[in-house]
Amino acid sequence: MNELISIKNLSIRSASETLVDSLSLTLIQGEPLTILGETGSGKSLLAQAIMGILPAGLSCQGDIALNGQRMTAKERRHYWGRHLSMLPQEPWQSLDPVMQSREQVAEVYREVLAYSAAAAQKATQTQLQQLGLADIQHKLPSQLSGGMAQRLAFAAATAAGARMIIADEPTKGLDTGQRDGIVQLLKSQTENGGLLTITHDVAVAQQLGGRIIVMRHGKVVEQGSASSVLTTPIAAYTQELIAAAPCYWTDVTPQQCHQPLLTIRNLAQQRNGKTLFRHLSFTVHHGEIIGLYGDSGCGKSTLGDTLLGLLAPNSGNIEWHADIPRHQKLKLYQDPPSSFSPAASLQTLLADVVRRHGLQAEQIPPLLQALALSPSLLTRSSHDVSGGELQRIALLRAMLLSPKLLVADEPTSRLDPITAKQIIQLLVKAARQQQCALLLISHDETQLKKVCDQIIYLQDYARENVINHCD
Amino acid sequence: MLKNRLKQMSPGQWTGAAILILLLLSAWMAPLFGHGQPNLQHLQHSFAPASAQLPLGSDQFGRDMLARLAAAVRLSFGLSLLCVASSAFLGISLGVMAAWSSQRIDAVINFVANTVMSLPGLVLVLLVAGLAPGSFTMLYLGISLTLWVEYFRVVRATVQPLVNGPELQSSMMLGFGRWYQFRRHIWPAISGNVLTLAAFGAATSILMMASTGFVYAGLKPPTAELGLMIVELFPYFADATWVLLQPLCILLLMVLGFNLLAGQKA
Repeated sequence: MNELISIKNLSIRSASETLVDSLSLTLIQGEPLTILGETGSGKSLLAQAIMGILPAGLSCQGDIALNGQRMTAKERRHYWGRHLSMLPQEPWQSLDPVMQSREQVAEVYREVLAYSAAAAQKATQTQLQQLGLADIQHKLPSQLSGGMAQRLAFAAATAAGARMIIADEPTKGLDTGQRDGIVQLLKSQTENGGLLTITHDVAVAQQLGGRIIVMRHGKVVEQGSASSVLTTPIAAYTQELIAAAPCYWTDVTPQQCHQPLLTIRNLAQQRNGKTLFRHLSFTVHHGEIIGLYGDSGCGKSTLGDTLLGLLAPNSGNIEWHADIPRHQKLKLYQDPPSSFSPAASLQTLLADVVRRHGLQAEQIPPLLQALALSPSLLTRSSHDVSGGELQRIALLRAMLLSPKLLVADEPTSRLDPITAKQIIQLLVKAARQQQCALLLISHDETQLKKVCDQIIYLQDYARENVINHCD
Repeated sequence: MLKNRLKQMSPGQWTGAAILILLLLSAWMAPLFGHGQPNLQHLQHSFAPASAQLPLGSDQFGRDMLARLAAAVRLSFGLSLLCVASSAFLGISLGVMAAWSSQRIDAVINFVANTVMSLPGLVLVLLVAGLAPGSFTMLYLGISLTLWVEYFRVVRATVQPLVNGPELQSSMMLGFGRWYQFRRHIWPAISGNVLTLAAFGAATSILMMASTGFVYAGLKPPTAELGLMIVELFPYFADATWVLLQPLCILLLMVLGFNLLAGQKA
């Protein structure tokens, strides 16, 4: 057994708190190690500590050894690229936005391995072909899909021959198909090297296999082999985390939908001259839950905005079967703070809505209770509550107006899985209760399959498939 | 909100505020203690030294320096306040309008703003003030027409991303009108910058007024105005340095006060 990375009693502290508490782990060749935990549990700090790039102001104690040799952060620096490499989250941010794909990889061969220009090009060519990236070698990162960009980042990170890969949330923001592709790619890496993956996605941990460490608030909650941790979790937190993964959700009973709310015929939309979708036709019924699934950048949000009347359709038409006032077609945003004014307390903002539409303020307390929110939260401003709480307050604000159409644009993609599950369940319950049509935009197909009456797939400019329980 | 802003003030800003309040208080109190006639001449008492009756002495015509300085400070403050209020109002309105309206209106307003920007501020003030020398109104118009551009640029740049962002979109969908959106979303986003600009703008307008007085293009004698006082006392600087230093120091204090109050790097 070859120990690639071994960490003993690693603690990371800021001036005020302990972020990672005496963590020990060993990464063995051929066996992927996955660190599973919610956002803010100190997982990314661990990756930075191993690389030796912790932000200033954080102190780090404990031993980190590579290939069995203890070394300082500065010594580990010499291992970068050739032995140890980090695959960062959100590849668009780590790739050079104005450099062709091929150049980003060729640069590594030239600068790190000191290849000649011609040799670097040749090596790049071979590598890109192996990764199925030959077609995109002349494109810029902004022209790539999330999965492609992550593959390219992987190519650049491993070009210099690193055998130990640290992948920090490698699947963040990718849809299910792309996610599985990246996971397979990472897994293939473990055969002759080491892979340490940091993720909050139970499905990723499951596909990678190997060993799992579950972390929460900087502490190890549970560890063991993937099969045992995921099938028979012991710690309560692990159980909760696994139950929150969409594949373990219970199916929502489909609803009989009869009364049509709006009919979309032959809808097409373009952005910057590029067709996002066309020939799109479907009907939304009162109280129906519709899933909208597709790659990032394929026009999901644009379709949502078009239905809400925020964008004029390029061609085709949207027919409303009843006259719905503006304030009953609402939207929940991906990033909850972005739709609240930070300058006033949440209470004031809700009171504004109540006053504007002549509603009853007495409606608020029961809604607070239904959404499991404490009334004291309302005295704070939107910056002082958590993302999950604010998303529920956004839902409350929408429900006050008894909307007929609610577009939820990836309402949980920035939240940790346990909160995400809770929000989706509340959203579905609220929509059913108020007989409000819900358009749920997501890049998680499993999630949509569990809760939606109908799923619309936006891919290759056309609606490919419709699963409609109503028909 | 005002409470929060006061709480966030740095020691430097407090110092600036204290200087300004002290100056303003003394300027308003001086007439109550018999120093209310800035233009009364006593030729036999020219350059009288400081005494109980004339705490700051007198100038070449025997006029009470304390009364003159107090009048000059009141005039400068009044003008700067007026200029700041009008230019801020104009700049904010046009900035919000440009960011919030069609591209054509934006282009027109932007063109006007760029034209004003391309002229050195003081030249524009001198041009307008030169149309009717000695007129307070023209001076006020000249300064205000120069200063609004800064508010416009800052406000337009801050509001533009907001207008296209989810905050205003969701507010619009919830059924709120433009005035509400301005009050709840736009004003909180711009108010910090606007207040900083206002403090700098006040300092600039005081300096501009003094500069026009200094080149005899602004108000006319015998008005007690800092720039005029400086240029009138200039020939006597060897005999009465102490008297010449007084308006200079006051000018320095006023500009320093406002710049400290602004609290940020220019």
